[in-house]
Amino acid sequence: MHKQEAALFQDKKVGFFIYLGVETIMFAVLFATYMIFTPAANGPYPSEVFQSKMVMLSSFFLLSSSGTLMVAERGVRERKKNKTLLGLRLTLVLAIVFLGVEVYEFYSFVQEGYGLSTSVFLSSFYVLVGLHAAHVAFGIGWMIVLFIQFRRTKVSASLYEEKQTIFSYYWHFVDGIWVFIILLVYLPYIT
Amino acid sequence: MKLSMFGSEYSIPTDIVAAWVSVIVIGLVATYFVVKKRKLYVIWDYMKTTNHRKIGILYLLFGILYFFRAGIDALLIRTQLAIPNNDFWVFQGEKYNELFTTHGTLMIFFVAMPLLLGLMNIAVPLQIGARDLAFPFLNALGFWLFFAGSVFFNLAFFIDMTPEVGWTGYAPLSRAAFTPGAGTEFYVFGLQVSGLGTIFTALNLIVTIVRHRAPGMLYTRMPLFAWASLITSFLILIAFTVLAIALYLLMFDRLFGTGFFSGDEGDPVFWQHLFWIFGHPEVYILALPAFGIFSDIISTFSKKRVFGYGTMVASIGLIGFLGFMVWVHHMFTVGLGPVVNTFFAITTMAIAVPTGIKVFNWLFTMRGGVIHFTTPMLFALGFIPSFVIGGVTGVMLSLSAADFQFHDTHFVVAHFHYVIIASTILGVFAGLYYWYPKITGYILDEKLGKWHFWTFLIGYHVTFFPMHITGLEGMPRRVYTYSETDGIFLLNALSTVGAFLMGISMLFVIWNVYKTHKMKVKVSHDPWNGRTLEWTVPSPAPVHTFEPMPVIQSIDAYWYAKLAGHVLPTTTDVRIKPLERDSIQPFCIAMSLLIVSTGLTFRWYWLAITGGVALFAMLVLRSFTDEREDFYGKGDEHA
Amino acid sequence: MKKIFLLPLLLFLTGCNITVLDPKSDTASEQAFLIEFSFWIMMFVVVTVFILFTYFVIKYRYTETRKHDLPQDVKGNIKLEITWITIPVLLLIVLAVPTLAITYDQSPQWTEESDQSGVVIDVVGKQFNWTFTHANGTEEMDKLLIPEGESIVLNLKSADVIHSFWVPQLGGKVDVIPGKELTYEINNPKKGTYQGKCAEYCGLGHTDMTFEVKVVSKQAYEQYLQK
Ligand code: HEA
Ligand code: HEA
Ligand SMILES: [Cu+2]
Repeated sequence: MHKQEAALFQDKKVGFFIYLGVETIMFAVLFATYMIFTPAANGPYPSEVFQSKMVMLSSFFLLSSSGTLMVAERGVRERKKNKTLLGLRLTLVLAIVFLGVEVYEFYSFVQEGYGLSTSVFLSSFYVLVGLHAAHVAFGIGWMIVLFIQFRRTKVSASLYEEKQTIFSYYWHFVDGIWVFIILLVYLPYIT
Repeated sequence: MKLSMFGSEYSIPTDIVAAWVSVIVIGLVATYFVVKKRKLYVIWDYMKTTNHRKIGILYLLFGILYFFRAGIDALLIRTQLAIPNNDFWVFQGEKYNELFTTHGTLMIFFVAMPLLLGLMNIAVPLQIGARDLAFPFLNALGFWLFFAGSVFFNLAFFIDMTPEVGWTGYAPLSRAAFTPGAGTEFYVFGLQVSGLGTIFTALNLIVTIVRHRAPGMLYTRMPLFAWASLITSFLILIAFTVLAIALYLLMFDRLFGTGFFSGDEGDPVFWQHLFWIFGHPEVYILALPAFGIFSDIISTFSKKRVFGYGTMVASIGLIGFLGFMVWVHHMFTVGLGPVVNTFFAITTMAIAVPTGIKVFNWLFTMRGGVIHFTTPMLFALGFIPSFVIGGVTGVMLSLSAADFQFHDTHFVVAHFHYVIIASTILGVFAGLYYWYPKITGYILDEKLGKWHFWTFLIGYHVTFFPMHITGLEGMPRRVYTYSETDGIFLLNALSTVGAFLMGISMLFVIWNVYKTHKMKVKVSHDPWNGRTLEWTVPSPAPVHTFEPMPVIQSIDAYWYAKLAGHVLPTTTDVRIKPLERDSIQPFCIAMSLLIVSTGLTFRWYWLAITGGVALFAMLVLRSFTDEREDFYGKGDEHA
Repeated sequence: MKKIFLLPLLLFLTGCNITVLDPKSDTASEQAFLIEFSFWIMMFVVVTVFILFTYFVIKYRYTETRKHDLPQDVKGNIKLEITWITIPVLLLIVLAVPTLAITYDQSPQWTEESDQSGVVIDVVGKQFNWTFTHANGTEEMDKLLIPEGESIVLNLKSADVIHSFWVPQLGGKVDVIPGKELTYEINNPKKGTYQGKCAEYCGLGHTDMTFEVKVVSKQAYEQYLQK
């Protein structure tokens, strides 16, 4: 990567980190909301709702996807096509499985009568965890776009590296938020 | 007004008929001129542009347009309040409530913000030697998001669905149970969409200032407007994000039946916390850039460098920091208890100190200088005493026990118009007169400018000074009338007179712009004998600036170079200018969000989904049309 | 501009007949004191700035004779800057002391935590009227009768949105918030009839959500309760 490209890349990095700062504030406010309203005076107590198995399962998938993404990052840096693709593919699969588990979790909550407007606790749970799930879904779309970019000849190796690096920042960030969700949303109420 | 169509009767309020008529007439006239002068391509050009100066112009144009609209609202407010028990047109009860909601929301979000962002867009890159904003595409997107949000908010009025919850949108009044119409949705989505644009622009400005300064333009040599913009941008990032989440929660409350802000399960006061955690920093977001503009102008026209540059920068930072610790001063009466009240009273008072530093440093910048009374300087001079009056009433409000009396009266209305108009509005006027040559290549007429200044300043004091007293007489804000026995008739009438004087003063602006563009007298690159880098580039600033790139060796480098009689040294070893390519995509992305908002507002979920799909399609398209594709991987020959 | 500025000064000097500054209870008197006290300190600040401003603008204005003057290149002056940091800090400390005292005394509190000694009255705000319920169940709408010289304990509730209870001459505002009950105390009201209003925008009929407060003698209040 030559000097001018590096400068542009650095701009983008700084910009994206600031953007992640914005996301951090967003989630911080939602975490605060959750903590203010949970447990709610009426409606179910959180531990009646949460199922520890489900949380462990989804956490396993999402957190390991950060690891597989690192493989892809190394692949790009070393310019090893197969490594990159392998890492990305695994990440994509794990992400989709995570999202599936998440959707299933929401679905089973709703089946049991724990809907969005059942109580303020559940409302703040859904707006927070739901927004996180939306980020995962967006990330999945982004990864699919990356696969296509990877094959395009107009996209030079250095540009591809830039694109994937930015994505990996996003993905690690989304993973990091999940850790906080485990710690602040689930853990206090899972016995 | 009654209308019968297709066999059924509709009744349309006459103010809305008037609005439609005037918009159609203005629209037709404008179209006629555009077509006749064959200027359609200019509009198309601006819709695609990613150049910082052109985007700045767009911001300014719409900011001014909405200033007129919100100003007309203000005149209607004042007319209704002119005499006791007035029955002016339709503006009692509901219509009055809509009036102040629109006035306040427009003025803050769609007047003050774009005007300041517009000036930052134009002047900051030129002041620091950047060749454009770091992300030109994102800059255009920021503008068009603002545009989409503002258009959406304004549309509400034309279909008689104006929000009526005040600019603060207090819950639970803003929940669907109490304002069931679609009006409040226009508030929610209008602010959400435009707020997103504001966040992007702030981010862009930060990266530009941090990474695109000219060689030698150290942080200790940056003009104060650039400094103020930098710190303001950080405030925007935090404050507008909190607002975005507040609106997000309110949206769930209204659309999907959650109860965050309801009285029985949630907490209405939580909305107030979120709103003011945004709202208070917001007022400094309005004030700080103006402080920056005034610093540059006062220094330029006193022919002296700014007094105490270091403390000036430090105090901007301190004001910004303290700005996040005082929000409860808007909530002294909600019963958070004596400890909370006193804590926030003290932090609020503390802001007077850094602000005072700035005031005295401005005064001492003038001391020993040679003060030229140009129009921009007059606005800066008008600002100082006016702002101090507004600032000290702010300190009076911060005394929590006294605020039990002041709160929600016209005393508060007086306070915030004093500070906002003194800082933001006078600041924007000053900036417009000052940078007009850089924006358009023409200089505004000084004589008409002075007329504008004096009528506006006098009108402003006549309007808002009496409100301190009506407030103490017990006149609450947001009421559409009062009775003769309240003893506040004359003061209110005086206010109204002042408001119309301000209206008249704006006519001078229209005349001035018209005259200037008719005369077409081009100015040189440095009409004010300026000190900072923007005066080294031609007027109007071209698309390619700073070629070759100047090297900066001191504060106000251009000034000292002129004094010493040489030109600024230059270098060719510079980083690449931000890649830019005209694109209509930012416009389309913003429009798809407009569609999403419309869909959600009217619960037409199919439309919202269509808009959402369009939005993602646009983002994917963007990813495949990245202008970096043509640049990357080709070695250094592009440099 | 300067002349207008003298207007409130004159009003202050001629014995204040401005509603809020003409208090009729101890609570309101303390607030009025704070307002006037801070007003004078603020006058001092404003006058200082005005004098410096006028002096500098006149003295250093551009004139034909100064056409070729080049101002001295002053960077700043630490001593001066410290002066205008210190003086405002001192002024603010002077202001903070009475503010703290009065705020501690007067801030509304949650009803559960408050001291309910005095004449207790329940107040309910509702779009768009007020209901006052006295200790023995006597209830009246938009009219509040209270005995003079007592300490009046108001427990405020809202039936719908946020309102704010305000009787300018008897005391400051207290918000009336759905889901929370607040208590506000008005001490030692004096006889008379006062205007009360809703100060927090609460919707369509906000402007008309006014009420009347009558402060009467203790006997008259007893009689009123018997009725
Ligand atoms: C540009 C906008 C702007 C600015 C700069 C300010 C500046 C300040 N504001 Fe203001 N304010 C608003 C816009 C602004 N405000 C708005 C819009 C509202 C109402 C919102 C709504 O409800 O709709 C509001 C409301 C508001 C309230 C709530 C009132 C209520 O609703 O009950 C309070 C209370 O503390 C307050 C205080 C202050 C203070 C202490 C400052 C200080 O920053 C002022 C500091 C400046 C000075 C003090 C002057 C210069 C200093 C010196 C010369 C030094 C010496 C001075 C002393 C020792 C005192 N403001
Ligand atoms: C940037 C902020 C800003 C600005 C600049 C203004 C400017 C003005 N405001 Fe604003 N105001 C607010 C922000 C602002 N306001 C806010 C936030 C509120 C609170 C809202 C709420 O309670 O929710 C408020 C509330 C408010 C009220 C209180 C309403 C109430 O509580 O009942 C009043 C009353 O007088 C008022 C008056 C004015 C006036 C007379 C101006 C004047 O300065 C306006 C001057 C401009 C003009 C007069 C326009 C000139 C144009 C023309 C005359 C056009 C001529 C047309 C043709 C030739 C076709 N405002
Ligand atoms: Cu504030």
